[in-house]
Amino acid sequence: MDYAIETISLTKVFSDWWGRAKAYAVDDLNLQIRYNEVYGLLGPNGSGKTTTIKMLLGLLHPTKGHALLLGGDGTDPKINRRIGFLPEESYLYRFLNARETLDFYGRLFGLAPNVRKMRTEALLEMVGLRAVASRPVGMYSKGMARRIGLAQALINDPDLLILDEPTTGLDPIGTRQIKDLILKLAERGKTILLCSHLLADVEDVCDRIAILYGGRIQAEGKVEELLQQSSRRQIVTSDISDEAVNRIRGILEAENAECEITSPMEKLETFFINTVVEAQQQARPTSGAVSTTQIGEFLMAEKSQAGILDKLVSASASDDKPVEPPVTQRIQPSEVPAPEPDRNLLGELTRSAPVAATEQVGPAQPSPSEVAEPEDRKVRQGVLDALTGKTPASTTDRPHEEPKDEEAGHG
Amino acid sequence: MGRIWAVAVNTIRQALRMKIAVIFIVLLLVLLPALGLTATGDGTLKGRLQTFVSYGLSLTSLLLCLLTIIVSVYTVTSDIEQRQIYTVATKPIRRYQLLLGKLVGVVVLNIALVTLFAGIVYGVVVFLPGFYDASEGTLRQIDNEFYTARAGLVPAAPDVDEEVAALYNRLERTGQLREAYPTLPPEQILRELTLRKQLEKRAAGVGDGLVWEFQNVRPLDPDQSIFIRFKYDVAVEPPNGLIYGRWQIGDMRQVRYGMNFKTPIWPEDRADPVRTFREIEVPARVIAADGYLAVGFLNVPANSTTVIFPLEDGLEILYKADTFTSNFIRGTLLILFRLIFLACLGLLAASFLSFPVAILFCLVIFFTGTVSGFVLESFEQLSASAWQVYSYTIGALVRLLPQFDKYNPTAFLVPGRLIAWSLLGRVLLLMVCIQALLLLVLALIVFSFRELAKIVV
Repeated sequence: MDYAIETISLTKVFSDWWGRAKAYAVDDLNLQIRYNEVYGLLGPNGSGKTTTIKMLLGLLHPTKGHALLLGGDGTDPKINRRIGFLPEESYLYRFLNARETLDFYGRLFGLAPNVRKMRTEALLEMVGLRAVASRPVGMYSKGMARRIGLAQALINDPDLLILDEPTTGLDPIGTRQIKDLILKLAERGKTILLCSHLLADVEDVCDRIAILYGGRIQAEGKVEELLQQSSRRQIVTSDISDEAVNRIRGILEAENAECEITSPMEKLETFFINTVVEAQQQARPTSGAVSTTQIGEFLMAEKSQAGILDKLVSASASDDKPVEPPVTQRIQPSEVPAPEPDRNLLGELTRSAPVAATEQVGPAQPSPSEVAEPEDRKVRQGVLDALTGKTPASTTDRPHEEPKDEEAGHG
Repeated sequence: MGRIWAVAVNTIRQALRMKIAVIFIVLLLVLLPALGLTATGDGTLKGRLQTFVSYGLSLTSLLLCLLTIIVSVYTVTSDIEQRQIYTVATKPIRRYQLLLGKLVGVVVLNIALVTLFAGIVYGVVVFLPGFYDASEGTLRQIDNEFYTARAGLVPAAPDVDEEVAALYNRLERTGQLREAYPTLPPEQILRELTLRKQLEKRAAGVGDGLVWEFQNVRPLDPDQSIFIRFKYDVAVEPPNGLIYGRWQIGDMRQVRYGMNFKTPIWPEDRADPVRTFREIEVPARVIAADGYLAVGFLNVPANSTTVIFPLEDGLEILYKADTFTSNFIRGTLLILFRLIFLACLGLLAASFLSFPVAILFCLVIFFTGTVSGFVLESFEQLSASAWQVYSYTIGALVRLLPQFDKYNPTAFLVPGRLIAWSLLGRVLLLMVCIQALLLLVLALIVFSFRELAKIVV
């Protein structure tokens, strides 16, 4: 069987100056990642994830064994043409702006000028940096740089995407967006290798995972198989009466089973996204990245390579203005399972950081837009502060930089 | 090619936006015009021009050399140390294309900067006399001696091998050899004897004459003047320090056959101080149609001393062979060749060294190259002694050193000497096509096989 990524007893030993073995970064690793699979490589810091990726791409030479990417060598331009790579940090040229950055990488792929231009604009739109695209990348916050890093990995519409810690430094919306993107790309038949130690991210998107420690695979398999607790059962119901609950409890006690009945909690991620989406609908200005949940149209096009190119060329030839990618997926508050914000959670969060009240009497003068703000917005601001662990003073000092600060807090 | 160019453009952007190039550009833009005002030389207009050209071009060359070293090293090492190479090298671009792109970027930047600054120097040089109230004579002098590209022809060294061999054998037979040179090895004795014989051919006893013949004397314009530049040396110092000489300059072959003269023979009787360079101005009409020219000197009896023309610079014919402008352009190209060499050197150093070490490495080579004459000479001496092995190993490497001092454009432009196309071709071949290419190939090999993700400490 063909694999998208295959390593055969891949080993990397870092030696000291005298050639004595110092550390086994990767030790006899045999990975087999199938086409159209989202594969998660997990492991604590220093477990050999990044070293493995560097060897796959020819940035490091294996001490022993070899690696195959898409059936070929990771340094072969024919193979590189079909790969998108996002390194552990977005190593970008600080003196280029976002548009120039994407254009430069587009040139390295030998893309035709109109395709390059069209994809650059589509990707800028997708990662929400179109408004700041002419600022040097060196001035970007970590999360914004991460977004450009992701965009450069997608400019060639790759068949195989290698993402090393893609969500570090990103706000929850950016994280969600990357996860959505990964799922969408997987739907379109792409193969994705995801390296992370953020377990929630991996759990949400990966088909299979491997846990690396000391350069060796300690566990590998499908996520549900690895995580399913076969000795326990969970029942989720709609809102049923207390009487029904008591009856169920009776049945379960008769079975002599332990049981615990609560209302399910909304995921914090979902709650956070709802909050920010609402704020966006009120068109609050932001100096950071504009979080969209749109995905570049060219990435969503049909599988046939020729078809995509034809479409891109004809699209950009027919009119010069940048193609507006249609909204492929937008998380609407109404679509989210629990439409009502959980008041308990909200109360709990605001209590843990009593900022909402002190905001108005803070030492810094609130800006006019702050004053004109609706009351519930302020409460939410308090929640955001609690989430990011910020002090109220810094909030009022820089009222327009929420997404940026959140990223910093997150990373 | 598109990929190489993309990297090249990125390299130029890096040099400009990271302010490395900007510092040098600003420095030169300030310094060059300032030099034009402050360089006075010996106070004459010619001195001013010579000082300005000398300082201006040397400064441009030095600063651009440093810039080239820094940019070519930085553009590679920063990619590796700041790891942009991770995203670039994993794109469908070969490593050699990446490095070639960097080279193209540095060279294009250099071409632009050399053109700009040489243009400024040229502009100042051309317009400087307009600001001074120079006399007709001064203008004529700087036209002849500065705004020109004079070719210099020196007489070929006479072939004295047979005479030397005969002398050597005779001395050896009679046993005088060991008496005269008790310690020297045979090769050195031969060298001494050769020098002695050659000097004999350049000496004229009282009442004797010397004739030098030149082929291929081709002045730019037959109506102009040519110059015989000479220096007397003497066996006995004349009382008033002057030597009287009778010169005949022209096509002496005509005299031999008693034909009518097609070209004139220029006579000149003059008195000149000893051990001082003097020039005889002669109309270029004296040169035969086939480029032949003979120069005759008669040591008139009034001198009562043997007159010697020193071997290396005793006599030379100077004539305007090209215009100042095209000579200046060739001088600029010499600087450019030097920069191309340094760019390749920088890339090589950066391909396996970290930034500060690579810079140091390049600077050492650069400064050694600017005193290459001295270095080569000292190694010549070494190889002459018992250190044969040394000269075959290190000596081979030393010969790979660039010779910046030997091909220094100011050494030509200041005395108004021609930088011949042949010289330019030789430098191009040696410095760019052999030395720089060798460095580049080495750099490409090292860069292609190294582990880019491994940080050099």
